[in-house]
Amino acid sequence: MLVCSWFSGLVAELCFVLLVMAFPAALIALAVARNGKLGPLWLPLAALTLILEACGVAILMLRGQILEAPWFGGFPVAAAIQIYGLWLGPLLLVALAYGLTFDRWELREEDLRRFNARRDRNGGRGQ
Amino acid sequence: MTASPVNPSIVASAVVYLALVTAVGIWAAGRTKSAKDFFIAGQKIGWVVTAFATMSAAFSGFVFMGGPGLMYRVGVASLFICIPVGFTSGFLCWVVGKRLRLLAGLREIYTVPDVILIRYGSRRASGLAAVAVIIGTIGYLGAQIQALGILIEMVFGTRAVLGQWSLPAAMILGCAVVVFYATAGGMVAGVYTDLFQGILMVAAAVAVFFYCFQSGGGLEAMSRSIVGSEAFGPSHLDPFGTLPVMTAMGFFFVFAVGLLGQPHMLHKFFMLSDPRDLKWMPLVIGLTQSACILIWLGIGLAVPALVAHGRMIALVNPDQAAPQFLLSFTPPILAGMVFAGVLAAIMSTADSFLNIGSAAIVRDLPKAFGRRVPNELLWGRVAVVGIAGFAAVFAFVYQDLIALVGTFAFGTFAAALAPAVAIGLNWRRVTAAAATASMATGMVVNLGLEFLSKQTFLDWLPSVSLKAGVLPAAVSLSASFTVLLFLTWLSPSRPQPDLDSDVDFVMDL
Repeated sequence: MLVCSWFSGLVAELCFVLLVMAFPAALIALAVARNGKLGPLWLPLAALTLILEACGVAILMLRGQILEAPWFGGFPVAAAIQIYGLWLGPLLLVALAYGLTFDRWELREEDLRRFNARRDRNGGRGQ
Repeated sequence: MTASPVNPSIVASAVVYLALVTAVGIWAAGRTKSAKDFFIAGQKIGWVVTAFATMSAAFSGFVFMGGPGLMYRVGVASLFICIPVGFTSGFLCWVVGKRLRLLAGLREIYTVPDVILIRYGSRRASGLAAVAVIIGTIGYLGAQIQALGILIEMVFGTRAVLGQWSLPAAMILGCAVVVFYATAGGMVAGVYTDLFQGILMVAAAVAVFFYCFQSGGGLEAMSRSIVGSEAFGPSHLDPFGTLPVMTAMGFFFVFAVGLLGQPHMLHKFFMLSDPRDLKWMPLVIGLTQSACILIWLGIGLAVPALVAHGRMIALVNPDQAAPQFLLSFTPPILAGMVFAGVLAAIMSTADSFLNIGSAAIVRDLPKAFGRRVPNELLWGRVAVVGIAGFAAVFAFVYQDLIALVGTFAFGTFAAALAPAVAIGLNWRRVTAAAATASMATGMVVNLGLEFLSKQTFLDWLPSVSLKAGVLPAAVSLSASFTVLLFLTWLSPSRPQPDLDSDVDFVMDL
């Protein structure tokens, strides 16, 4: 990303968009992986990456084509992709993926038991 | 914003609002008996309150007033600042939320520099984080106090009565209310006022969106009016039409990834009573943030459409978009509610910064020098008053400078803290040296680029200009991630032998 900001033109812009859109999912993958596996989160993370990348590239490719391009949901298609795709699309995907996989991946019963045991050993601080 | 005639509904809403938050402060004072209560609300807060507090602390008055104005000026490209909220709530919980909460359950952790100290075992790294928190806090807080003064001046029409003393008097009044509840009730008052403020913000934003929709004739009618007008044209609704790609995507990057370094948001995870409460927090935070952003989108579309139709005159100052729309196209009671909502947005951000700023002075800096302040509750309260006073004086004396500092506070936090916290809590190989270098790089590059590219106070300093459209905050955030990853890559490929056992345990969960 740092390198892209020193160049201009479509290739540099495309690289910047691709990297910016991939970065959040990469950080999530680093955080949630257990023994190198993403478990039930691989599908939502793949979907998030795909949505962000596809929307970013589509908006870039549709630049300057507001009058020629079709309209969707009350907006020219580029703005519709930005609003419905980049904003509202990931909203339910990410929030529901987090909530629905929480007990079996993010914080399992077994994790909680280990945590509570350690907390008690540390002197019963917090939960 | 300029002075406008006093509107009784707006005055009444503001008075009721200020009275309510003061009452919450009085109630919370009786529940604040220890430093833990003061700094992290006793770690007894449930998920709904925490979610609303996180949302309202994240959104300042900019979302309600600055956002619609920016959209009036540059079109939908401005939305790249706020649309990351679609995924950032889950992103925040996955990347740092769980580990911050679990660590705070095992150790005495009240602040982000506390986390840095335990994770890296380095007082230098923790001290540097505290310095970043203090610099950012002064900037953010000064900007909030200044905005509070301007808004109170407008709502109560004090300029006509007090003349040149109007702004300082309005700043003192607004500041006194926030300082009262932040001092008396600490974070207990902070989170419960944030809950009330958050509900007010969501209700106001949704109601205003409805009126925008109605006044403009629907989304497509507004969009077609804008595209067909000479004043705005098709580029106004082109996401990359009015801003360079690097600027628009830079906003998206900084406001998405940079969120991981915002201490006023990370701080909320320490307060959760039960780690399992994290489960539905992303849903509540994401939905409430998105609801608030409707005001940005709604007014940002409605005002250009109304101008294109000749139903509003073109704005000389784009920041007038929201006030003009509210006063002309919504019922007075709703306008009053929105102005109270803006006060709420400003105050909820300010109270969070007062708390983390006082913690940085009373806990983090002394700990970086190997010392502890004996009575943290007492000195925490004193520090809240001190920081508020300093930020208010700074904001009043250096009005232009504080606006500048306020704009780059988010980037400073992002570049200084995001890599060390987000990568450091998820990768055992990151060393204290890499974290310290990353924080120093983020802070120096961001402050240096922002200051040298925008300052006009010191003629003798060189001006730095980046390639057209590249944001200093995006450069500094990328640079601090690069430094952290590069130095970690250079280090031996095994976990740090001196990694704290509790940190190691939490990273394993």
